Amino acid sequence: MSLSSTSSRVFRFASKKGISSPLLQVGRNISTTTSATHHEELDVVIVGGGPAGLALASALGASQAVRESLRITLVEASDLSKVRDWDPHASAFSNRVSSLTNNSRHFLKDVGAWDHVEVSRTSPVEEMQVWDGISDARITFSASELDPEPTMNPGETRQMARLTENLNLQRALLRHIATLSEVRLLDNVKVHLIQQEEREGGGGWPLVHLSDGRVLRTRLLVGADGFNSPVRSYAGISSYGWAYDTQAVVATLSHAPRSAFQAPNTVKYQRFLPTGPIAFLPLSPTVSSLVWSTKPALAAALVKSDPMILTSMINAAFRLPEVSMRHLHRFILETGASLTPIQIQEEITWRERSHDIDRHSAYASATSDVVAAGIPSHDSDMLPPLVASIQPGTVASFPLRFNHADAYIGEGEGSRTVLVGDAAHTIHPLAGQGLNMGLGDVESLARCIQEAVLQGGDIGSHTALSPYAQERYFENHKIMSAVDKLHKLYSSTLEPVVWARSVGLEVLNEFDFVKAAIMMNAGAYSVRGNPAADATGWAMAAKGVEGLATGAATAKIVGQGIVGMVGIGVQNLLRTMGTPNQQK
Amino acid sequence: MNPVRMQFVREKVLEITREEHGEEAVKGGNPLQGLDILDVGCGGGLLSESLARLGAHTVGIDASESNIAIASSHASADPRLSADSSRPSSKGSLVYRHISAEEILKEQKRFDVVCSMEVLEHVDNPAGFISSCAELLKPGGHLFLSTIARTPLSYVLTILVAEHILRKVTPGTHTHSKYINPSELISFFSKYRSPSDEEGMSWITRTYEHGLPMRTEAEVRGMVYIPWKGQWMLTPRGASGWGTTHCNYLFWVRKP
Ligand SMILES: Cc1cc2nc3c(=O)[nH]c(=O)nc-3n(C[C@H](O)[C@H](O)[C@H](O)COP(=O)(O)OP(=O)(O)OC[C@H]3O[C@@H](n4cnc5c(N)ncnc54)[C@H](O)[C@@H]3O)c2cc1C
Ligand SMILES: C[S@@+](CC[C@H](N)C(=O)[O-])C[C@H]1O[C@@H](n2cnc3c(N)ncnc32)[C@H](O)[C@@H]1O
Repeated sequence: MSLSSTSSRVFRFASKKGISSPLLQVGRNISTTTSATHHEELDVVIVGGGPAGLALASALGASQAVRESLRITLVEASDLSKVRDWDPHASAFSNRVSSLTNNSRHFLKDVGAWDHVEVSRTSPVEEMQVWDGISDARITFSASELDPEPTMNPGETRQMARLTENLNLQRALLRHIATLSEVRLLDNVKVHLIQQEEREGGGGWPLVHLSDGRVLRTRLLVGADGFNSPVRSYAGISSYGWAYDTQAVVATLSHAPRSAFQAPNTVKYQRFLPTGPIAFLPLSPTVSSLVWSTKPALAAALVKSDPMILTSMINAAFRLPEVSMRHLHRFILETGASLTPIQIQEEITWRERSHDIDRHSAYASATSDVVAAGIPSHDSDMLPPLVASIQPGTVASFPLRFNHADAYIGEGEGSRTVLVGDAAHTIHPLAGQGLNMGLGDVESLARCIQEAVLQGGDIGSHTALSPYAQERYFENHKIMSAVDKLHKLYSSTLEPVVWARSVGLEVLNEFDFVKAAIMMNAGAYSVRGNPAADATGWAMAAKGVEGLATGAATAKIVGQGIVGMVGIGVQNLLRTMGTPNQQK
Repeated sequence: MNPVRMQFVREKVLEITREEHGEEAVKGGNPLQGLDILDVGCGGGLLSESLARLGAHTVGIDASESNIAIASSHASADPRLSADSSRPSSKGSLVYRHISAEEILKEQKRFDVVCSMEVLEHVDNPAGFISSCAELLKPGGHLFLSTIARTPLSYVLTILVAEHILRKVTPGTHTHSKYINPSELISFFSKYRSPSDEEGMSWITRTYEHGLPMRTEAEVRGMVYIPWKGQWMLTPRGASGWGTTHCNYLFWVRKP
């Protein structure tokens, strides 16, 4: 964090990397000249047209009271017409997919944005299967069994979440905003400088300098500007975090449809390997999305490799014993660029044979006979379908980090600022919560702004904004630390930890974390709106916790409706969830 | 504290306007739009600004010249409050004047709403001050006061803790004996007759058990600070439990 030495605070953003001092010099010169130049008066400037920023613009515009009394502008550096005109073929899917919780979806529906989502491109998650990569201890949750809640639309299946391409959501938000003439979008313009207006006695408002020369003076500046948030820098809010030694590889996967004897492709599979979790997210009967968190070197090798190699590796990563995965990883890194699809196929074949994996089992990939036989094996529902190919151009990787801003509201010289979404917090995607947390922020902030407008409050003031921080900060913190613990726990190959993960009573305690991930995925954990009046509560049943090490340790866990969970912290909640009638 | 004071003002005016003129009388649920409102002892002007944002023609007055300077400077940062605003939806206005309640009464202008928040406990002649506020109303106008009750709880919270322990407020700011209880305001307005209309009705014609007035004539609501929410809340209507109107409270009465 650096402050300029003059009385006005000047931040210049040359790049997403942030601030560098030579540019500050330029900024100062600008500030002396711009004090006289013309600026536009606004009430809300949202920096960032990602999912969080667009959702906020959408939610504010949906409120009549807000729309009629506030001037709202969103600024986005990239070209939003690419999102607006996004029109892929029905079978082609983007590689950035998020699992939207029912809470998020209800919020988007209330705002009026969900109606613009192309629902045929989304898929419900009706079941989740999560298992330990080393012990194979597994937990299965199903939304269908004890769900008392009527679904949002008649004919829609009961679901824990809905997998939605980020672009599908963003396009829907843009379409919704297009119906709200009061909300202005400025794209292809960058915020390159933010300074506090000079006023005698302090209390100057933020002046936002755009790359096209315009200057916006605003009552409230919202940072929806992602991890490298320029607004956060201006606000002088520091943050706490680190980069995981992990990259997430994403890709769009094609596969054969499930047969009539099997559950439909609406199951989310996630296996926790010591290198990180690999997840399979269904999008359509024949297309699913991959999020594979793993060590950076391996991620880099996988991204660069022939798509057929990646295909084989994905199939193996869900199936082969962990020992063999470790060997495969080493094999890939050692062989380097010369590795061919045949070589990896041979290596996997050899490993399947040495582990005695039956050709007819779903655990066979390289040696699989399953597709040819036509009749699914008995264990086929335990695993995702075999990936046949990867959609071209969909392989990418992202660094993973943990980051939480120390505050959501700027104070003192950085006052009249507020952070939402990734600008406020960035987490590991293993629980699929990043975007949902951002939407939770937006819902809360929009409600807070509307309240303040109705009471004639100054929406930029700390008084008006503090309910937002009160509502969200601790809530997000709890989710973030549970997800972080989960990542660390499952990164361990230490024997006692693995043993604890799979055997005896400890398995249930440690499984609390898995359950935490699942509960949060399902959105059953977070509470939206007025909890008592909110009927989003749904019960769910875990079909079983099966510790392979003990064999017989099968437990039935029956969840309770959300209303009963209100106000209970995650640990408590999980304690309630985690007391099955286990037979000793 | 400002959001809850605004909530009370807005909701009370809304309730009465709806009852008398029907639902349609209040456009967009905003009952203050276009009303003439006087904020007596406006201090830094927080309440005045909010009233103006909700569309009221607001006059903020204060006996202290420096407070008026602070309030004016604060409002000048906000384009919505400045006179030359081009904003179409802002029909409200805001003017600050350095003048006392007693002095402005000598002028002709009368108001739909008079507010005086956290002033009563500082004045030496509360009866005279309240009458001045009352006389500044048009017939049918609303008077809103907020102050601190004279109770052991208020002594502990406002004098012992705020002044002597936390030193948030300069010692000597509050004088416990000056605090006025809700029941005293109710009894004041039960006997009160406007000097201009000695034959007229008293402002509060009857009270129920526990001394509560009729909802259409007057109302008392406690304001409590909820530490874990970091917010002030209004106590429920008619609540008389310990603590509810034993410290900070709001009072509303209507000129007949
Ligand atoms: C691999 C992976 C998988 C994920 N899976 C899930 C999932 O299943 N579920 C889930 O909920 N979340 C998931 N997430 C997280 C989710 O993608 C993010 O939380 C979400 O995109 C954050 O949205 P945002 O709007 O806050 O920020 P961003 O999407 O980062 O948007 C910030 C915007 O601000 C703009 N901007 C920045 N600086 C400036 C400037 N100076 N001027 C103008 N504009 C600027 C940028 O151009 C950008 O458009 C995943 C993340 C990763 C990496
Ligand atoms: C504690 S402050 C309250 C400020 C503001 N109403 C609020 O609640 O934030 C009391 C103010 O009342 C003013 N005041 C006291 N007697 C007054 C009178 N008779 N006429 C006008 N203002 C008066 C004082 O100057 C002081 O600014």
